[in-house]
Amino acid sequence: MQHFSTDCCQTSSMDDAELINQILNGNMNAFTFLVSRYQKLVVHITGRLIQRQDELEDVCQEVFLKVYQNLGKYRNECKLSTWIATIAYNTSINYLRKFKKGDEVNPDDSAALRNLTDFNSGDYEKTDLHRYIREQIENLPVQYRTVLTLYHLEEFSYQEIEQITGMPEGTVKSYLFRAKALLKEKLKFVVDNNSLKTVKEINNES
Amino acid sequence: MNHEKLDSILEKTFRTEPGYRLSDGFAQKVTSRIVAKNQWMTDLYEYIYLSVLILFLIGVVAGTYYLVNKEVLLQIFKFISGNALQVAMVALILNFILFADRVLLRLLFRSLPQYLQRMGEKVDIQ
Repeated sequence: MQHFSTDCCQTSSMDDAELINQILNGNMNAFTFLVSRYQKLVVHITGRLIQRQDELEDVCQEVFLKVYQNLGKYRNECKLSTWIATIAYNTSINYLRKFKKGDEVNPDDSAALRNLTDFNSGDYEKTDLHRYIREQIENLPVQYRTVLTLYHLEEFSYQEIEQITGMPEGTVKSYLFRAKALLKEKLKFVVDNNSLKTVKEINNES
Repeated sequence: MNHEKLDSILEKTFRTEPGYRLSDGFAQKVTSRIVAKNQWMTDLYEYIYLSVLILFLIGVVAGTYYLVNKEVLLQIFKFISGNALQVAMVALILNFILFADRVLLRLLFRSLPQYLQRMGEKVDIQ
């Protein structure tokens, strides 16, 4: 069934539909190429969700195993990247449910805010701020991390994020807004004026 | 710093890749794992087909003897029923040898190097 010897140069120029056809016909080089093409997407989603480097490779392998097993069921109703992201998201969420504390099903912004650490640098450098924000993203509740990654890093649309996570579009927008607000709350001292809305105010509004 | 500046730093950071990494040759590893899994299934089916084929051939031979020389067949049945436990044990051992040859040993020789490699990588990470 496997054709390991076929030239891999051909696969690099293939579009997704052709790649899937090749895989379904047993061309494993095409599958290797598919994994290479989408491994960044999967590692970003999975990494941000499970936050464990030592388990990351196993979970990513599980994601691609599921992709391979279910590729025959894939219909062109959505982009392949959206479909793979859905599998990565569901696999990671299942992992979290199995091996971690229930994580935050309904994110509590006050608790999340307590989770974030203070930025203690008086004369902050831009790079420090950059690193600080990156660290704080990892401390956000899982839903916030998910939507931030999918929207900003992977550039999925709201509709696609809805397809991937099952969260309504409004919720996705709200999580994006609140995640940003939480980070801004911690960073408000670097802004000249005090017009930033606090998390409490945002919660009262919503 | 004003809001716009902070917003732009936030946006830029959101677009920065998180530091999670996969090992080199990850794609090849996944493919090898799938190939190994497929091979295991093929081996298992092969074993099942062979077992069914052997049973079928035994059935054909028994049928032929039934038509040609019933007496021999009755003697065989008598022997089997008289030594049921021993016959069952021999059949079980032969079946296990076939299973080990077609499935278990192949699986072991395929999986062991990969398993050792993965264990080595895990130790490296820790």
